Amino acid sequence: MEQPVTVAIVEDHPVVTEGVASWIRSDPGQRVRLVQTARDLTGLPAMPRPPADVVILDLELSGELVTTEIPGLVAAGYRVVAFSGHSDPAIVLETLDNGAHAYVSKEEGRDHLVEAVLAAATDRPYVTRSQARAMLADQRPARPALSEQERQALLLWFQGMSKASVGRRMSISENTVRQYISRARAKYAATGRTAPSKDALLARAIEDGVIKPGEIVPYKSFARALADRPSLGAPGR
Amino acid sequence: MTAVQPTAMMSGRYQRAFTIAVVFLVAGWHLAGAGGQLLHNRSAYGSFAFQGAMWLVMALAITAGSVLVLRGAPGWRPAWAVAVIALAASTAAAAASPAGQMLAVNWAWGSAGWTGVLVLLRRRFAELAAFLAAEALATLGVQVWDGLHGTDLAGFLAVLAWSTGAQVAVAAGVRALDAAAGQAAAAAQSEHAARERAATAEIIRAARHARWLALQESAVPLVAELAAGTADPGHAQVRIRCAVQAARLRRLLAEGDEVPGSLVHELHASADVAERRGVAVEIETAGPLPQVPGPARRVITDAAIAILTAARSQVRITLAAVAAGIAVSFVADTGVVVRLPAVGEGVAIEQQQDDGMLWAEARWNSR
Repeated sequence: MEQPVTVAIVEDHPVVTEGVASWIRSDPGQRVRLVQTARDLTGLPAMPRPPADVVILDLELSGELVTTEIPGLVAAGYRVVAFSGHSDPAIVLETLDNGAHAYVSKEEGRDHLVEAVLAAATDRPYVTRSQARAMLADQRPARPALSEQERQALLLWFQGMSKASVGRRMSISENTVRQYISRARAKYAATGRTAPSKDALLARAIEDGVIKPGEIVPYKSFARALADRPSLGAPGR
Repeated sequence: MTAVQPTAMMSGRYQRAFTIAVVFLVAGWHLAGAGGQLLHNRSAYGSFAFQGAMWLVMALAITAGSVLVLRGAPGWRPAWAVAVIALAASTAAAAASPAGQMLAVNWAWGSAGWTGVLVLLRRRFAELAAFLAAEALATLGVQVWDGLHGTDLAGFLAVLAWSTGAQVAVAAGVRALDAAAGQAAAAAQSEHAARERAATAEIIRAARHARWLALQESAVPLVAELAAGTADPGHAQVRIRCAVQAARLRRLLAEGDEVPGSLVHELHASADVAERRGVAVEIETAGPLPQVPGPARRVITDAAIAILTAARSQVRITLAAVAAGIAVSFVADTGVVVRLPAVGEGVAIEQQQDDGMLWAEARWNSR
C-alpha cells in the first residue's frame, strides 16, 4: 500500500479544524494522515524538509485575508489547498494565481476536501464547482483562452451536474469531461505570476497527456503583442 | 413621449433672442441715429473725414462685439477690448468737435454707450456701470478742456440722463427677461417631470393589474375551492397546487421591487416556499449577468417554481453569463421528469434526467 499523504491544517477556528480532521479520519482508504494543525502561519517550518505534503489553508486567519502568504508557503515547498468561506471569484482567482493547487469552499468541504488534497499531493488539477465558477466569471484581460468545449464542461460542472451527466449531455465520455476541466485548470497554471507549484501542475498535466506543450500559450497583453510585431515604418528593427 | 428639453437649453434659446434684439438696437442706433447726426452736421466739424473715420472704427467695434456676443458670453478681455476701443473712438471724436458746439454735433457718445451695453450686457452690472461712468467722465473732460459754460453743463446732464438712462434700462430689462426665461424653462421642465411621473405611475398600475389578472386565473380559484371544501388540503395534489401558488405570489411580489439583478431576487422569492418545505436550495451566479426583460424572467421563474415544487430535498440554481445572454440552470432530485412551462419570450429550455436527478437549463439570449 502507498504511503498516506501527509497534511497540515492552518485554521483559526478549532471547531473547523476538528471537522476537517474528522473528514480525513472517515476516509475509507485512510489515504491522508494529519500531521500538524496550526492557528496561524508562524509555526510552519520551511524547506528543506517541510513536515507535510499539503497544507489546508483557511484564507482568513484572525480576520485577515492571507492569500498573499501563499507564494511564501509554495516557496517553502508546500502544496496549498485553500479552504475558505469566501466564494468571491476575485479571491478564488487570486488564490490560484498565487500558486494554490486547488480551492475548496467551506460548503464543498465534506465532498471535495480530501479528494482535492490527494490530487494536490500528486500535482494533479482538482476543480471544485466554486473554482469552476470563478474561472467562468473571469473577466480579467490576462485570463487564459478556454476552448468552447472546456467552457461548456466547466459550465455544466458549475451548474451542479455530476461529471457522468456532463458527459452524457455533451455526448462524450466522463474521462473526456475530466480532461477538458483539467486542461482549463492547466491553462490557469500557465498564466499570471510564476510559482513552482504552477510549474509542477503544468509539468504533470503534460506528462498525463491532459495538455500538449504547444497548447500552452503564455499570455501576452495586446500592447505587448503590438510592440513585438515587426514594425513596417521603422527600418532596421 | 417627446424628448426632454433641458432647462438650460430652453432658457439659452430665449437669451439668444434677447441678444439678437440688443444687436439690432445697437446697430440701428449707430447707423440711423449716430450716422444721421454725423451727416446732418457734416459742415460743422473741423474735419469731417476724421469724424467719418471714427464712425467707421465704432462700426467695426460694434460688428466685433456683435460677433462676440452671438458666439456666446465673451470673456472679460475681448469684451473690454471692444468697450475700450469704442470709448477711445468716442473721446477722439468729441475732442475733434468744435468747442462749445460739442453736445449739439457729437454723435459718438450714444454709440459708445450702446457698444458697452452690447458687450458688457451679461457681465457683472458694476462693469457696465463703470464703463458708462468712464464714458460720461471722458465726455465731460473734453468739455472742461474746451472751457465749460453753464449751459453746456445743463446740456451735458440732460444728454447723460436720457442716453445713459436708456442704456441702463435696456441692460436691466434684458437681465430681467433672462431671469424670467430661466423660470419659464424651469416651469416647463417640472411640468415635463410631472408628466413623466404620471406615465411611470401608469406603467406601475398596469403591471399591478397584470399581476392581479394572473392571480385571478390561478390562485383565486384554488382559494375558492379550499373555501368551498371541494379541494381537500389533505390531498397531496392540492398541497402541491398550494405550494405552487404560494411561490407565484411571492414571485409576483418580488417582481414589483425594482432591484438590480432582479431575476436572482425573484428566484430567491420563488425558492422561499420550497425552503419552508425543507428543501435545501442553493442559488449561485457566475459573471456579470445581463438584465432580462420581464416576460422572459417570468418564463424562467415559472420553470423554477415547477422544479422547486417537484424537488424532494435539494435544488441547485445557477445563473451564468454566457456569450449572448444568460443560462439559468436547475439541478434537482425530482425523481421524475417535470413538465416545464411553455418555452417563449426568447427563452429556450432544455432538460435531461439521469439517476433521479433533473438538470434543466433556461437560456435567454439578448440577440
